[in-house]
Amino acid sequence: MWFDDCSLLTGFNMLWQQLANGIAIGSVYALISLGLTMVYGILRILHVAHAGIYALGAYVGWFSFRLVGDFWVSLLFGMAGAAVAGYLVERFLYSPLLHLPRIAPLIASIGLFIALEEAFRIVAGPHTLTYNARIGLGDLSIGSFKLTETQILILLVTVVILIVLWTFLTRTRIGLAMRACAMDAETTSSFGVNVGRIIAINFILGSAMAGAAGVLIGVYDNQVWPTMGSIPAYKALAIVVLGGLGNIPGTVVASIVVGLSETFFIGVLAIPFPRDAVAFIAMILVLMFRPYGLLGKA
Amino acid sequence: MRRLGLMGMVCGLFLFFIPGTGQAQDAIKIGFFAPITGPAAADGMSAKHAVELGLKEVNDGGGIRGKKVELIIYDDRLNPQEAVAIANKLIERDKVVGVVSGSYSGPTRVTAPIFQKAGMPMVAGYAVHPDVTWDPTQKKPNDFIFRNGYLGEVEGAAAAEFAVKNLKAKRISVISMDNDFGRAISAGFAERAEKLGSAILTKQMYKFPGEKDFRPFLTRIKEGNPEVIFAAGYYNEAASIVRQAKELGITAQILGEEGFDSPKFLEIAGPAAEGVIIATNLDRDDPRPVVQNFLANYRKAYNEDADMVGASSYDAFMILVDAIKKAGTDPKAIQKALLETKDYNGLTGKISRFVQGEVVKPVQIQVVKGGKFRRLAVIDNPEVITPPTK
Repeated sequence: MWFDDCSLLTGFNMLWQQLANGIAIGSVYALISLGLTMVYGILRILHVAHAGIYALGAYVGWFSFRLVGDFWVSLLFGMAGAAVAGYLVERFLYSPLLHLPRIAPLIASIGLFIALEEAFRIVAGPHTLTYNARIGLGDLSIGSFKLTETQILILLVTVVILIVLWTFLTRTRIGLAMRACAMDAETTSSFGVNVGRIIAINFILGSAMAGAAGVLIGVYDNQVWPTMGSIPAYKALAIVVLGGLGNIPGTVVASIVVGLSETFFIGVLAIPFPRDAVAFIAMILVLMFRPYGLLGKA
Repeated sequence: MRRLGLMGMVCGLFLFFIPGTGQAQDAIKIGFFAPITGPAAADGMSAKHAVELGLKEVNDGGGIRGKKVELIIYDDRLNPQEAVAIANKLIERDKVVGVVSGSYSGPTRVTAPIFQKAGMPMVAGYAVHPDVTWDPTQKKPNDFIFRNGYLGEVEGAAAAEFAVKNLKAKRISVISMDNDFGRAISAGFAERAEKLGSAILTKQMYKFPGEKDFRPFLTRIKEGNPEVIFAAGYYNEAASIVRQAKELGITAQILGEEGFDSPKFLEIAGPAAEGVIIATNLDRDDPRPVVQNFLANYRKAYNEDADMVGASSYDAFMILVDAIKKAGTDPKAIQKALLETKDYNGLTGKISRFVQGEVVKPVQIQVVKGGKFRRLAVIDNPEVITPPTK
């Protein structure tokens, strides 16, 4: 059997280390899922191709890193590339389909996602590309606990992005309009808000965050590959449901919860449990007992 | 007239699509399949390149008994369904005299009963699953199928032999991918290591394919503070494990297997690969001309270093060619010659014989030094390298 004895469970340092591992991966989940939940909040469509935008961000970041050689520049390029792609998807794919039943944009989205994966394979080849960037932050060691450079990077970038996003949503007029649109687009429109523009901004922000997640995973795993979006595509859906569809703080909390549970299932409880099942089991439980999500109100 | 013209065109097309029909009628045809595209493309290309190199050598040396050898190459895309179709095509349409598998266990395994039933000899380069040479439904060996690579259990046991006897490891952790190969090799490793008196601290399995973040596994391993970590995986996972272990400050010796044996592993793992030890099927520092010529010719032809997969596929091809040289082109006679193989001077080691289709030869232990795989040791303890018979 592949259960081993649990006599090694006691280490205190290990718990801290696993906490860092879990929060790091959870932060990436948050960056991917936020765009998805924002799109759902405003358009009520499931934007499956969002995971393709995430992979696109990784590829653009990788490519610009090869050209420029600086990680931070490649992060910005990855975000910008994803943002442009997100805008184009909204403008040319969803916008013409929005008057149709919601199944139409969903099918279009799945189609686009598959097309993107194939496009990456054709353009950049089927092989794994290495994203071996020097970041220049260094590790943080306390005793045998170690926050690795890429984990620091992920935490830093995520916190900065979350603060910027939160400030934008709560302190600016556009942010206010975005929140109003998520509540009721028609009424918001009657107050003279250009809803089309708000939707575009929504896609641009969400996609830029997904692009950042792609770049971060690229350096965290040192790998960029054509199908890197396939697991996030469905895991992010589960996280978004877990967070309460359209609920931004709920999605962040759900992402961290999923990242931590996965890590603790594997690394502490040592249950040979498929990692990707965690998010779905949590999703099923939430749908059964709290269908409005972890932080939502009944 | 019109009708005849159309028929002619159809026939012409047909001829065009049958590989090699236009060429010499009396060439000896050998079938070959590998995952040339798809998720294992790096290995598939490597196998194809190496076998083509072997083909050139054979034909430049005058072929077999004055006849040229023709290689019928198929891409199985790592897809078993595809491999079944390929096996049937090779037998019925291409009418080959023998087959070389340059593919993984999945595709190779499903073709084995087809070739067995047709009485068509196949030599598998590096597929590891026991059911390649064994028919589990009839509980008897597939006596037309031969394997040049080791059984997973044998390679795992050899790695354990090295870990305990050479590295003197008393405390070992095992991390393995959850597939046939991973399970077989890590079971073989754990059994031998425990038999030799070492403790297996943790045994963990990760999802394959799909796992990229090994930090939760490695953090748990780190807590047990083992001297050696035995890791099973293919080059992508192997590289991630090695890099992330280094990031987390793990100093235990990492011991891998033939799945690590790829230039891609060295590329993705980068400097973290340095010092990693693997059990594999190719010794780059073997002074025999068959090895050094192959490595030099491969480099010259493809501008890339040969790997275990290529070398094993080359060997499989050459073993089959050797049997055809001895026995002629009758499949039954080829099978007999293969069964009688004795002290064959192979690229991946001297093969003393085949036991129920399984190769008996030493296991190579290599270490990454200066960004290249170099010889560290050879495991030739007969207790370890003789495959278990059923």
